[in-house]
Amino acid sequence: MGLAGAKNKRKLGNDPNNTKWSRNTETFGQKMLKSQGWEPGQYLGVQGAEHAQWHTEANSTHIRVTLKDDQLGLGAKRNNGDECTGLDAFQTLLGRLNGKSEDVLEAEKKVREDHKLNVYVERKLGTIRFVSGGFLVGDQVVDTISGKKAASEPSSATESAVTSEEEKEETKSSSKRSKKRKADEGSSDEDEDEKKKAKKEKKDKKEKKRKAEADAEPSSKDKDKKKSKKRKAEDSDDGASDAEQSASRDRDVKESKKERKERREREKREKKERKEKRREEKAASKAATETGDDTSREKKRRKGESDSATTSGVSTPTASGTSTPTIMSSSRYLSRQRFIAQKKLAFTDTAALNQIFMIKS
Amino acid sequence: MATKRSIVEGDSGSQDLKRVKMGKGGDAKDDKFNPYLAHHYEDDNSNGNGNGFSSPLDKLERHKTTAAQASKCEDSDLNPWTGQPHSQRYFGILKTRRDLPVQKQRQEFLDMYHSTQILVFVGETGSGKTTQIPQYVLYDELPHLNGKLIACTQPRRVAAMSVAQRVADELDVKLGEEVGYSIRFENKTGPKTMLKYMTDGQLLRESMHDHDMSRYGCIILDEAHERTLATDILMALLKQIAARRKDLKIIVMSATLDAQKFQTYFYNAPLLAVPGRTYPVEIFYTPEPERDYVEAAVRTVLQIHATEPEGDILLFLTGEEEIEDACRRISLEVDDMIRESDAGPMKVYPLYGTLPPAQQQRIFDKAPEALRKGGRPGRKCIVSTNIAETSLTIDGIVYVVDPGFSKQKIYNPRSRVESLLVSPISKASAQQRAGRAGRTRPGKCFRLYTEKAFKKELIEQTYPEILRSNLANTVLELKKLGVEDLVHFDLMDPPAPETMMRALEELNYLACLDDDGELTKMGSLASEFPLDPALAVMLISSPEFYCSNEILSITSLLSVPQIWVRPNNARKRADEMKMQFAHSDGDHLTLLNAYHAFKGAEQNGQDVKQWCHEHFLSFRHLSSADNVRAQLKRIMETHDIELMSTSFQDKDYYTNIRRALVSGFFMQVAMRESSNSKVYKTVKDDQLVMIHPSTVVQSPYDWVVYNEFVLTTKQYVRTVTNIRPEWLLEIAPIYYDVDTFEKGEIKSALTRITEKIRRRQAMKGGR
Repeated sequence: MGLAGAKNKRKLGNDPNNTKWSRNTETFGQKMLKSQGWEPGQYLGVQGAEHAQWHTEANSTHIRVTLKDDQLGLGAKRNNGDECTGLDAFQTLLGRLNGKSEDVLEAEKKVREDHKLNVYVERKLGTIRFVSGGFLVGDQVVDTISGKKAASEPSSATESAVTSEEEKEETKSSSKRSKKRKADEGSSDEDEDEKKKAKKEKKDKKEKKRKAEADAEPSSKDKDKKKSKKRKAEDSDDGASDAEQSASRDRDVKESKKERKERREREKREKKERKEKRREEKAASKAATETGDDTSREKKRRKGESDSATTSGVSTPTASGTSTPTIMSSSRYLSRQRFIAQKKLAFTDTAALNQIFMIKS
Repeated sequence: MATKRSIVEGDSGSQDLKRVKMGKGGDAKDDKFNPYLAHHYEDDNSNGNGNGFSSPLDKLERHKTTAAQASKCEDSDLNPWTGQPHSQRYFGILKTRRDLPVQKQRQEFLDMYHSTQILVFVGETGSGKTTQIPQYVLYDELPHLNGKLIACTQPRRVAAMSVAQRVADELDVKLGEEVGYSIRFENKTGPKTMLKYMTDGQLLRESMHDHDMSRYGCIILDEAHERTLATDILMALLKQIAARRKDLKIIVMSATLDAQKFQTYFYNAPLLAVPGRTYPVEIFYTPEPERDYVEAAVRTVLQIHATEPEGDILLFLTGEEEIEDACRRISLEVDDMIRESDAGPMKVYPLYGTLPPAQQQRIFDKAPEALRKGGRPGRKCIVSTNIAETSLTIDGIVYVVDPGFSKQKIYNPRSRVESLLVSPISKASAQQRAGRAGRTRPGKCFRLYTEKAFKKELIEQTYPEILRSNLANTVLELKKLGVEDLVHFDLMDPPAPETMMRALEELNYLACLDDDGELTKMGSLASEFPLDPALAVMLISSPEFYCSNEILSITSLLSVPQIWVRPNNARKRADEMKMQFAHSDGDHLTLLNAYHAFKGAEQNGQDVKQWCHEHFLSFRHLSSADNVRAQLKRIMETHDIELMSTSFQDKDYYTNIRRALVSGFFMQVAMRESSNSKVYKTVKDDQLVMIHPSTVVQSPYDWVVYNEFVLTTKQYVRTVTNIRPEWLLEIAPIYYDVDTFEKGEIKSALTRITEKIRRRQAMKGGR
């Protein structure tokens, strides 16, 4: 937090871990244990027991704790720098220094810019809500996956914006990771691989969502459906644990070399799909009655929408990412503004003022 | 009546079959054993089952029953256990029982049960295992034949009580007769009891006097996956006992997650799994880590409320303060939402352990109705600590919001500090939380962390309690249980050696173990009390200080939750009220004053509840302290520990009590670092601590004895009382052997005092 952060002084003793005690071999406890055949470094309990395979470090020494005195979310780091202004300009340079190809850099830059734009728009203008109205396939509008239900539900642009952001951010983070790994391994092939992986991750996520709603899949995606079913079957083999758990775990475990081929195939298909989507979008944007919006933005939003909406028709409020601005307060501001306006109005109205100050005239 | 008949008729086919079977078994008096005619033969006691009535159970053979036989007994007009006719309610309950998932596998369960001594049973929540399995066992063990009970342990007292009540209803018997429960400080069983629900700790205490657990024919360890300290010890013990007693059956019931570990531990015991009634739960992660998990949680709840279809929300947070704060914020925002737009109503309920039961009950209220007809449906939102993770089942939850944190108690044997800190939960725990969303219909779980964080930052399983606790009490219990070899005691998760050392050391200083590690008379006596060794030793030695009555009160007050109530909106008044009871010498004495005032009010015939409310005291905890006191008093009386008091007029009244405190807590003493500092240093361990702000002690003393040493935001000692260092040297000379101290302020202070005492004695001698 630097200089602006809250000061947090803490006085530590000379030996906060009390190593004096733990090093002392003369304590009664240590003598007792040794007399019963324990040797330093050993676990307690039956030696070579079958269940010892599950023993962890916590069985050999006390559990270390850290004092958490903030409300930082899980995995978040203080000063993780993504609010850092100005550094964006150096990202390309730094990327180049790390030996990234131009294409990757360009893509990264685009993600950053999109993200910035989104944040800006949301802060400045708020968001407009949209209601999902099905998908235009060819020249017919097809209801979404869970048909009527989804239609009656307001899926908002906020959400889609958030989701699109999410996805972008995901690619961002994965590319970040790739950067790191890249530095470790220093081969350019790896980068490509990572990109694929990132894509796959994204796809997996979609697949998961799709699976959750598998039964209501639109007919146009029969192939995909089959695939997801197959996966599902794989998962349900695992049986014992509940579906989600196995799904998330399996994805780690089972995603092995065997599936690489499959993946490549899928990727191809995905490309095709994307093309289709683009076509859809064009049609949709034509159909859209909403005008006056900057077209490029519209497009972007649309893209986000279709990206998330095609995969899951049901609106899914995802927890707003850290990057999401404080939309929440806007409603409060709104009511406040109204309140202030009323006050102002009252001040200009002399009759009302007289009433308030109880002036009889 | 109609339902009953249909059951009877539906069963009649199989009934005939069975009767043939029975006939082969050599039973000639066919008619008499027809359960439906049993009432005709009421006065015929010739079949001698000891109960004095004819019962369909007479035909059953122990460990050879089938599910069909048992359900026939259940269907009969007369209660097979009491001989009384079944009530109408019984058949209603029976019908719902037959719908439970576990019912389908009754035969499978019995087959397995017959084939093995130890059985691992896995049943997801909602399978009905806790209520049904013990009854299945009951119909198979037939305890009235050999007088051996069936025990079913529960980690929580409330669960033991409520489940016992439920099962008593299901069997149509009175609670405390055939079905009873036994928890610490309360025993509701009778001579007729056959099925006993009890806390795991209670079974452990019982086994201290009955090393073979010979009273029991079958022991069921329920909720074993929670891995409480007592369950862990019981499992290790039962493993030993099972080798000695081949007739003892053991069932370990657990949730799905680590069943394999249980199996391996129990010599690859067979496993029976029953699916629960759960629906799929969709899991969402955030794309990026959250910067403020409380904020994010509040927002997510609001977003769900605004955009998701009907269904209740469960939000997990860490502590009381955080929960109350979040509740306030959510309600405010929802009010805004309703005012500004047409949002549905939402009721927000907090839920945490220290919440009064009446308020805890409110979480079971129905979600509010829509504000107007055809409007958006209302919902409720429960903001809870992790007690809603396992202990409580709330139906109707469809959305779970999980920030991934909980408060966990962890003991550090080196500094002997117990920390209660916010830390990341485990993967198992996260799944458990998510599972809460799928109890009534498919649900959604929003995790306020990334998938990466889930995979990388969360540990697999929550650490079992045995790895997180001070083991002094456990070691004492083990010694009493006759476990000599602590090193090779076959625990599922052996504790860290240092934790064990510390426990042994503490017991040695408390004179509970002699220098060879044998249990002393004091230790044996101390283990009779369901208390920490230090408290028990203090209680036992209190007659030496002529104040056992008072120490008894203080001990009971220390073994219940905080009696002081400090509501957020009236902190100042609460503190003022507390100061009325304050004794300048410390918190222990203040507790005692409050208790005496409470008893005084009770004797004056005042409305005690009102009185407590006015004085910001918890009536509930004070009365449970009263209850604890009565129980402890009984134990003291059976062991001939004298109960006495110094006269209140005597100027040594409080001094004696303080001295008695030292006799148990001499290892929990801190000395002020320097004359005007607020920082204290714990004796021997040299940890820097502050006195907890809740204390009444205003003028700082140089030496204090403390009840607990906790790490929350800082290292605090809580519940402190001023003492004189001379007492330490006098009462605990072994621990305060000045030569064993490291060089430092404490050593020099102690040396000075030794000198002083010596000089004073010399003067006395010289005179």
